Amino acid sequence: MAERGRCPECGSAALVEDAHYAQQQLVCAACGCVLAEGLLTTTYTDEEHLREVAYSQSTGQKEQLSRCLQRGIRRVQDLCKVLQLPTVFEETAVSYFQRALQHPSFHLVSLEKKELLGGCCVFVTCRQHNWPLTMGTICSLLYAKQELFASVYLSLQKELGLSVPALSLGDLVKTHLNSFRLFQHAADVPAPFVEDKEKMVARTMQIVELASETWLVTGRHPIPIVTAAAFLSWQSLQPPARLTCTLARFCKLAGVDLPPPAHLRLKELLEILLRMASQLAWLRVFKVDKKTVVKHIGDLLQHRIFLLKNAFCLEDGEEQRAAAPGEGSLGGRCPGSARAAGGAAQEDGCPSEGKRQREGGPRPLLPPCLINPRKRLRTAAPSAADSAVTGDEPISDSEIEQYLRGPEEIRAFRKAKAW
Amino acid sequence: MDADSDVALDILITNVVCVFRTRCHLNLRKIALEGANVIYKRDVGKVLMKLRKPRITATIWSSGKVICTGATSEEEAKFGARRLARSLQKLGFQVIFTDFKVVNVLAVCNMPFEIRLPEFTKKNRPHASYEPELHPAVCYRIKTLRATLQIFSTGSITVTG
Repeated sequence: MAERGRCPECGSAALVEDAHYAQQQLVCAACGCVLAEGLLTTTYTDEEHLREVAYSQSTGQKEQLSRCLQRGIRRVQDLCKVLQLPTVFEETAVSYFQRALQHPSFHLVSLEKKELLGGCCVFVTCRQHNWPLTMGTICSLLYAKQELFASVYLSLQKELGLSVPALSLGDLVKTHLNSFRLFQHAADVPAPFVEDKEKMVARTMQIVELASETWLVTGRHPIPIVTAAAFLSWQSLQPPARLTCTLARFCKLAGVDLPPPAHLRLKELLEILLRMASQLAWLRVFKVDKKTVVKHIGDLLQHRIFLLKNAFCLEDGEEQRAAAPGEGSLGGRCPGSARAAGGAAQEDGCPSEGKRQREGGPRPLLPPCLINPRKRLRTAAPSAADSAVTGDEPISDSEIEQYLRGPEEIRAFRKAKAW
Repeated sequence: MDADSDVALDILITNVVCVFRTRCHLNLRKIALEGANVIYKRDVGKVLMKLRKPRITATIWSSGKVICTGATSEEEAKFGARRLARSLQKLGFQVIFTDFKVVNVLAVCNMPFEIRLPEFTKKNRPHASYEPELHPAVCYRIKTLRATLQIFSTGSITVTG
């Protein structure tokens, strides 16, 4: 640096070589005076040595994200913010989305599906971290049809090989009840209707557990069950003031949607509670019906194991003594145990069996669709003629004639010009 | 399962889907005009033709590809497919019955016990998938057999593949 001299402006010896765009310059570090400039143009020989890797071959090109991917990632991040998810969830969801979009089966799908794909990634992330998020919530946030979301979700699960754990009912209850507006005083909520959140959550959890033990949860959508259980627990905590309130009014006051199956779930829950009430010693003297059983839900839940056992398990000796030989095959059923041999006969007997049981007597603990079957169950009865079919039999003309129209018919159709 | 509950399980085939080719172009309008028991879906470009015996519904495309559904056994499917090809021949097309293949067989079976689906799914994790919000049954895939089973809580099982 000494040999380059000093700056003519300020006399400083601190001179540095710096580049201004592609031009080398000698600049004073103290005052910024440009002492000398390099050549702007170079010869071909110089260029050869300076030739860098072309941009298309550099890693910079690959790191640049496509606009579609950028938009998708922004959408995923927005969804996570709206749902107030932790940052870890956002990173996982974005990584799933990037992986999925590079997959051949998602690369060229419609924009609508790509948006749903983002929602699916968020949904999968939440389920993997046991964060209770339902498909209904995501669909309503994305304004998406449930069927389309379902197909995208299933193909995402299959293509990326993601293992998605089951939805935890306990967490779902807590999250769903968080959205209820009955825990604080408000202008449109009458004072007797306001309830303590902890008590309501605890009782709703117990009712949902009861429902899952009595086959009301398996195979059904979880939200209507949680809604019906929340309604019953709310009513039972202050029966005098709340028994006259209907399920629809309750949902309106709570500010949640009333899912259509909730009425059926409520009916099934009340039926189970009534059967349990019939076994409770101090309730036997009262005539308990669907309205009054709500008042005793606390007691029923407290003793539910004992009551379920008594209300639904058939005692072996009692059943076989009382039953006709045809019904005897159904004896000795306890919750969840296997049916006795003669399962085929059971299918014919079941519809009438449920009705043949005495009103107050114990009934088998079965899923509701088996107690009241709507379908006629198929019986295998292959005829001898069918079993002899080989597929290569000769075909007669008369057999084929029945599938062809006659000439008059054809003329009539042509005249009518059906199309 | 108890050792003394030896129940013979009846597995009942409810549907067999097969395809075959006629190796000639088919005029769907002609089939719709001259065939009985046909439905012409002009917007999609196919004709549905139903046979009475065996109870089969055939979807016919103009390219000559035909899909038959509704048979209750593979032999019956071939029986029905041949009858269909013969009907098309009678209508005047140069039909050659080729590439007959059974594509899918659907069977139903009833277990003599109920099944608790959440616990079942937990114990059969990689193969079983259960989404109560979408479908009330557990979807159990057997990769080696390329079969899918739908297991319901009532004990009813539908096997496809």
